[in-house]
Amino acid sequence: MSDPSEPVPGLKQRKVFKIIVLGDSGVGKTCLTFRFCEGQFLDKSEATIGVDFRERTIRISNEDIKLQLWDTAGQERFRKSMVQHYYRNVHAVVIVYDVTKPETFHSIASWMQEVESHGLLGSPRVLVGNKCDCGTPESRLATSYAQRLADKYGMPLFETSALLDSECDNVESIFMTLAHKLYSKQPLRVVSVEGERGPRLVTLPRQKRSNTSTDSCLCS
Amino acid sequence: MESHNPDGETGDKCDINGDCSPISNKDTVSFNHTKNIDDISTPSELKFDEDFEFEDPDVTEKRNELERCLKNPDLINLEQWQNFAKSKAGLISDEYRRQIWPLLVGVTEDEMTDPPSLDDLSKHSEYHQVVMDVNRSLKRFPPGIPYEQRVALQDQLTVLILRVIMKYPHLKYYQGYHDVAITLLLVCGERASFPLLCRLSYGPGAPLAPFMQATLQPTQHLLNYVFPVIRRADDRLADCLDKAGVGTMFALPWYLTWFGHSLNRYADVVRLYDYFLCAPPLFPVYVTAALVLHRAPDVLQCDCDMAMMHCLLSRLPDDLPFEDILVTAKKLYEENDPTDLEAEVNALEKREEEQRKLDQERMKRRQAGRVAPRGGGWLGALPAALRRPAGRRAALALTAALFAIYVYYRPELFRNREDSPDL
Ligand SMILES: Nc1nc2c(ncn2[C@@H]2O[C@H](COP(=O)(O)OP(=O)(O)O)[C@@H](O)[C@H]2O)c(=O)[nH]1
Ligand SMILES: [Mg+2]
Repeated sequence: MSDPSEPVPGLKQRKVFKIIVLGDSGVGKTCLTFRFCEGQFLDKSEATIGVDFRERTIRISNEDIKLQLWDTAGQERFRKSMVQHYYRNVHAVVIVYDVTKPETFHSIASWMQEVESHGLLGSPRVLVGNKCDCGTPESRLATSYAQRLADKYGMPLFETSALLDSECDNVESIFMTLAHKLYSKQPLRVVSVEGERGPRLVTLPRQKRSNTSTDSCLCS
Repeated sequence: MESHNPDGETGDKCDINGDCSPISNKDTVSFNHTKNIDDISTPSELKFDEDFEFEDPDVTEKRNELERCLKNPDLINLEQWQNFAKSKAGLISDEYRRQIWPLLVGVTEDEMTDPPSLDDLSKHSEYHQVVMDVNRSLKRFPPGIPYEQRVALQDQLTVLILRVIMKYPHLKYYQGYHDVAITLLLVCGERASFPLLCRLSYGPGAPLAPFMQATLQPTQHLLNYVFPVIRRADDRLADCLDKAGVGTMFALPWYLTWFGHSLNRYADVVRLYDYFLCAPPLFPVYVTAALVLHRAPDVLQCDCDMAMMHCLLSRLPDDLPFEDILVTAKKLYEENDPTDLEAEVNALEKREEEQRKLDQERMKRRQAGRVAPRGGGWLGALPAALRRPAGRRAALALTAALFAIYVYYRPELFRNREDSPDL
């Protein structure tokens, strides 16, 4: 943990945005957070026991922001007691489902309940359908169907894959969307982030391709 | 009533271990295999390439003694096996472990039965969760293990877990149980690991039993013993952990898996299992305390921030001196019997309960506050920076003015959001 950009005492402290990642076991929460923080697919992912933590520093409007990602265990028994503690001071929420497993999509309602019970309905949230590299278009959950639910909950939808390198920018935009949203909600600050309006148009600092469309899958 | 299903496959599943140990740099011991009750999956021949530079003379002597004892195991009593397992270097090698682990928990040969086939078990409600976790357990296998052999072992692992939870339906599978199961499986093979895992999971004093209840409440309670143990040994360290509010989550995988999930070196894992198999059920918590105490210098230097502290503690370095840590843990246990700590744990839990209530109230107010003017969620960013003590002054200086204005407009929201102890 020898981060060279660690804040030097006396110099300006970096902002920290804390994002919690929720969703059923096996949908790819660990792989997604790893992809974002390490830039690659985690090929030996392990079951998450309790809560894992990853972070990455990003830059918005010439300011370094630390994104803390809290990767939680999907198994119900972990949520009931221990994970509670880690909801404290969460700023934003990512809910993940697996586009090839409808049951993980149907759990979203209960995840939303959980989000609500922690008073996070007012925080920026995004819905992520992962593993869009898997299966055939027919076997995957239809985007329109997912979009309807996303609209109902008032959260932007992303479909992506933690596996595909070609989706890297897309994973990036999930977390950058939240970061921009949190950033823009800061008080008394002139924010001029290009493309900030609307989650699908976020301009990414590290974007390699210019035509990333966030709601269509580039795979299969 | 064991379900027998000697499926024809088991034979060749397990005879494939020839290739996986390119270099066996442990001394090859001429070893009497007549007591070998588990020829089906000769797992000890799986080799986790360990650098084996030189052997401590004490360990060599112990090795010789162990071999002597294993020639006439009936003459050795439990206490003697326990002494081997606990003292320096533990049981040294998996060849010894696979014979001695069953003895440590009192498993007999006739309890070691052939497993049913995977098909018979696939209807169990936990089947999918177990398979999912087993499929993600690649890291736990010896590097370079042939694909077929790994898949065969993973099937054995799934069967092993399901067999236990089917035998004891009130026990609930938890993520992490598979890490314990795989350690037993790799060392003892599928036949012996079943009664072993049963013994660890069920019965009075079974160390894994508290983890398999309907909720993790009992686990959390037991894990809380770590704080009074640390406090009694190092007040300053305990204050530091307290202040950061790091909780016990960093140690949850350690406890639930007996460190199997969290340590990279296989040799460390099996060494700890040697000890845990004959220690009191709460002993891993004392090892946790000893480990945190060992890392005190790092902890004291760390930002007093929950996330940073969690991050620091949860990642274990590869070069931990476990022999020393075990000695410390034993001493801590002797000096601080769990019964002496009960009152402190109860007080701690009471404080946590109060904090939880406060959090809930705070949240309700936060929700109420949100309803008034729209879009109040942004405030998170500001206190987050302020909460970081290292930057507290700087951040305060920078934002005091903005803050004053904000608080003027939305005082109630600010109070809801900030983690001030006086609320
Ligand atoms: N094909 C595919 N597999 C994935 C993807 N993301 C994760 N996985 C796999 O799905 C399994 C579960 O992923 P993990 O991140 O551990 O899920 P979690 O329980 O939500 O943290 C692992 O075996 C991953 O390799 C993806 O985008 N595509
Ligand atoms: Mg995970």
